[in-house]
Amino acid sequence: MTVGQYFSDIIKVARSIAIGMGITLRYFIHWKKNTITIQYPRERDHIPPRHRGIHYLETEKCVLCWKCSDICPVDCIYIEGTRGADGVLKGGYRGQKATLSKFTIDYTVCIFCGLCEEPCPPKCIFLGPEYDYNATDRTMMEKNLLTDEVYTEEDDKFVEWARDENERLVAEKKKAAEEEKAKAAAAKAAAAPGPKPSEAAP
Amino acid sequence: MTLLAQAVPPGAADLARARGTHDVQGGLHLESWIYQGLDALGLEFPFEEWVLVAVTLLVVCGLVFGFINLFALFAVWLERKVSAHMQCRLGPMEVGPHGLLQTLADGIKLTVKEDIIPRVADKPLFILAPVIVFTGILIRFVPLPFGPGLVASDMDLGLFFVAAVGSVEVIGVIMAGWASNNKWSLFGTIRTATQMVSYEIPIGIAFVAVIVCAGSFSLMEIVNAQQGWFWSWFVYRNPFLTILSIIYLIASLAECKRAPFDLPEAESELVSGFHTEYAGMRFAFFFLAEYAAMYLVSAVAVVLFFGGWWSGIPAIDGIGLAPDDSALTVTVGFLMKAGIFMTKAIFFVFVQMWVRWTLPRVRLDQMMHICWKVLLPISLVCLVGSTLWELMTGGGAFFGIPTLFGFGG
Repeated sequence: MTVGQYFSDIIKVARSIAIGMGITLRYFIHWKKNTITIQYPRERDHIPPRHRGIHYLETEKCVLCWKCSDICPVDCIYIEGTRGADGVLKGGYRGQKATLSKFTIDYTVCIFCGLCEEPCPPKCIFLGPEYDYNATDRTMMEKNLLTDEVYTEEDDKFVEWARDENERLVAEKKKAAEEEKAKAAAAKAAAAPGPKPSEAAP
Repeated sequence: MTLLAQAVPPGAADLARARGTHDVQGGLHLESWIYQGLDALGLEFPFEEWVLVAVTLLVVCGLVFGFINLFALFAVWLERKVSAHMQCRLGPMEVGPHGLLQTLADGIKLTVKEDIIPRVADKPLFILAPVIVFTGILIRFVPLPFGPGLVASDMDLGLFFVAAVGSVEVIGVIMAGWASNNKWSLFGTIRTATQMVSYEIPIGIAFVAVIVCAGSFSLMEIVNAQQGWFWSWFVYRNPFLTILSIIYLIASLAECKRAPFDLPEAESELVSGFHTEYAGMRFAFFFLAEYAAMYLVSAVAVVLFFGGWWSGIPAIDGIGLAPDDSALTVTVGFLMKAGIFMTKAIFFVFVQMWVRWTLPRVRLDQMMHICWKVLLPISLVCLVGSTLWELMTGGGAFFGIPTLFGFGG
């Protein structure tokens, strides 16, 4: 090791330490901007509108048709109630008020497939943004959507927004698919006359 | 106790009564306070003089111990916050405002933990080791001032004492590693021994260079030699002392086993080094000793190079120093100086944390290389250079430049 190398090494080390410490100091000073920690129970991360969490049920809209529990591939929805003024189960589905006495979903069974949303006539069941499934007991995982207040009023707004957003996204996707289809058809139509002259040539 | 009684010269009480509660720098005399307080109440001190000295010693020891505890509470929290914020995290947030009481909760947890001694450990040594490590640190606080006159014992060989009893800690660490009967502990111990013995030399040389400038070993005298504008701090006294101050800061990192020189307890290599087998209160004492050592080396750096309790602006320093100042002004000035000293020391503690969370750990051979091939030759050159500079310029402050323009240190 030459003397020049000895001193150039020291200068190199000092320089690199200064650069490194500058970086950490910048991060330390701007910690409010840089922090990526989310203090979970109090703060929650952004949830995408199509997130499929615990069901959100608009109780007043429900007509007690059992379509959701019928379509459920794992049979995790348990519904009880009366329909009609006299408490007898009869008549059509739509527009007639129903009285629900039980609307329980067993989240140890539910696979969050979202199939229950599709056949619902008044569109009153929706997989919401709530993802906290903590329980100390198996029975606690059976959530009664009528009595267990899973969603607060603030969540209601989010759910509404998410539902609109969801519909918009679905419509957009559908539109895009149709456009694609139309484009493909147009391309096909445009491509179709192409070979014709060649066929006609001989 | 008889020894103590002989050590107290006859008439010490009269001396304490006569000399006033504050010294020239606005410092406090605890015994004088007690005597004059008793006199004001019309009471006699009911025991012999040595009892007062013993009581004073106990009180001072308790105060220093309490200070170490409080400081460790704060510093552990600060360390966790500094590390967290440098890594884009939040750190402790739950206990108290911004997690300030987290360390207290951890401390309570440590005290109630089971006290485990491994079956194959050397029991007496294992029990004695944390005590010796902690005592080795605590004893170094004896000549260390916390403010003007706020010192357990202003001994004439204060700096020498700090350097000398620092090695007691090594014995405790070696005992801990050997008694644990654990290969990781033993590795950590061997590394500690090599590291601390090596790095004492650059530190000692830095001490000597400062002693040459200050003309005294006493920490109080060294601080008082830096009174005036901030360019009379020893770090600006000459370029060699500037380099030596950096060398001291680097070597002090190794001296209190902090990263990047934390080879004795390298978590990724040796579990946690010499205190692998320790749990509960004994571990807490090692932990406490580490943070106390951090404060100690920072405070010594402040005393030696960064002006002690002098703020660097004479107008601020002058509060409470004039002979006709009221007791309130004197107290305010005293508290302010103690606060300035504490702030500076905590800043250097922060620098230690900053370095720890920036730099990776050095290898053992790199550690020895840094000490013996870099720090030692440079510090020797700086010692000679600093001494020659003192001889040639007559000890002007700020590289002698203000003296050239007629400012004076």
